[in-house]
Amino acid sequence: MGEDDRHDLELHRLVSARERSAFDELYRRYARSAYGVALRVTSQDLIAQEVVQDAFLALWRAPEAFDPTRGAFRSFFLSLVHHRAVDAVRREERLRRRTERAANLEPATGEDPAEDVVEDAYLRVRRKEVRAALTTLPPAQQQVLEMAYLDGKTQARIAEELGIPIGTVKTRTLAAMRKLREALREE
Amino acid sequence: MSEDHERIDELLAGYVLLSLSGEDAAEADRILAEHVPSCGRCRATLNDLQAVSGDLALAAAPVDPPETLLPRIHRAIDEVPLAGRTPRRGALVAVAASAVALVALGGLSLVLGSRLSDAQTRAGTALEILSAMRSPGAQPVNVTPQDETPPESGMVEVSAPDVRRLYIAAEYCPEPAAGRAYQLWLGNDDGWEPVGEMFWPEDGVVLLELEVDVARYDEIWITEEAAGSPPSEPNTDGPSWFGSL
Repeated sequence: MGEDDRHDLELHRLVSARERSAFDELYRRYARSAYGVALRVTSQDLIAQEVVQDAFLALWRAPEAFDPTRGAFRSFFLSLVHHRAVDAVRREERLRRRTERAANLEPATGEDPAEDVVEDAYLRVRRKEVRAALTTLPPAQQQVLEMAYLDGKTQARIAEELGIPIGTVKTRTLAAMRKLREALREE
Repeated sequence: MSEDHERIDELLAGYVLLSLSGEDAAEADRILAEHVPSCGRCRATLNDLQAVSGDLALAAAPVDPPETLLPRIHRAIDEVPLAGRTPRRGALVAVAASAVALVALGGLSLVLGSRLSDAQTRAGTALEILSAMRSPGAQPVNVTPQDETPPESGMVEVSAPDVRRLYIAAEYCPEPAAGRAYQLWLGNDDGWEPVGEMFWPEDGVVLLELEVDVARYDEIWITEEAAGSPPSEPNTDGPSWFGSL
């Protein structure tokens, strides 16, 4: 476990003790990454803000949901944000289908809308590692991972859109995740 | 049983990415409940995959959120006291204010107790709604009028993961046509399921409490049906309200 992970653990402990300043520090550390992924998944800034707000509120109200024995706080929290973003985008999609209203999605935000955003050095380093690991994946594996993770699509829908068997989507997804696991494994 | 674990790994990978649906999702739920807790290999795999899933968020570019977001979160924290603590009087007032504010956001102005024909029952349900809103993860959901349904008749659904109850509140619900009543439906990938008995508004007011595990569903629909005969499918004609849970 690195120094930054240990610092996160300490901040989380303080949040559990209702220390608002520790909560604000975690916000400062993770709000940009959280908002970045929420915006990428939902493509709508208001929904992305709601997603980030809900995630931080959940952290404040139920900090015990994070189990330090199961991994880094960073992974836990960003997973929480991602889950809520995917939930939000699927809710929107269902509502749109149901009401048969015209889609009002803004075009997907550019891939790098704010690369000059100031963030903690360790997150910047980790971000580089994640992106480097992604580039080592075969394009077909990258594609299914991006469609699932960043577009919030189900494997069934990915199979349909790509015109490939769902078994192939599952195989590619697992292969990609295994490669990333090896590349990103922390000591 | 390496084949089994290969299959399980595929499901776990899809699970952490939230990309399973239908039978795969159901199978993953079973595996997570019945197999993973007793299998060290699968627990480790799940932890590893979840760590990767968390880090994948970093593949998206970081973006500065609006400066107003943190103050908004602070206000939300201050408005709703933490569950599990004995509420102080002031806190209860804050909860009530918060509830009314949230209901008002749904296009309603629910004034507790002022328009209720069966005051005790209605007030009890209203207090249950307030209590539900204090639960961790509680989220009010707008159940919005569809098509020709009067736009001012919006309803609000409140539920929380640990409450296992669903509440519906509305103030300006129109009377159904003669011989008809409203039915609440909950939907998921398996279709729509009627929940609870049919109901009518009283002076436009609806306050419902239903015992149901809302986590199993992702959509809510209220439709007008022929009174007295339990419907098998939602009626797509007439007034209706829809919301995503």
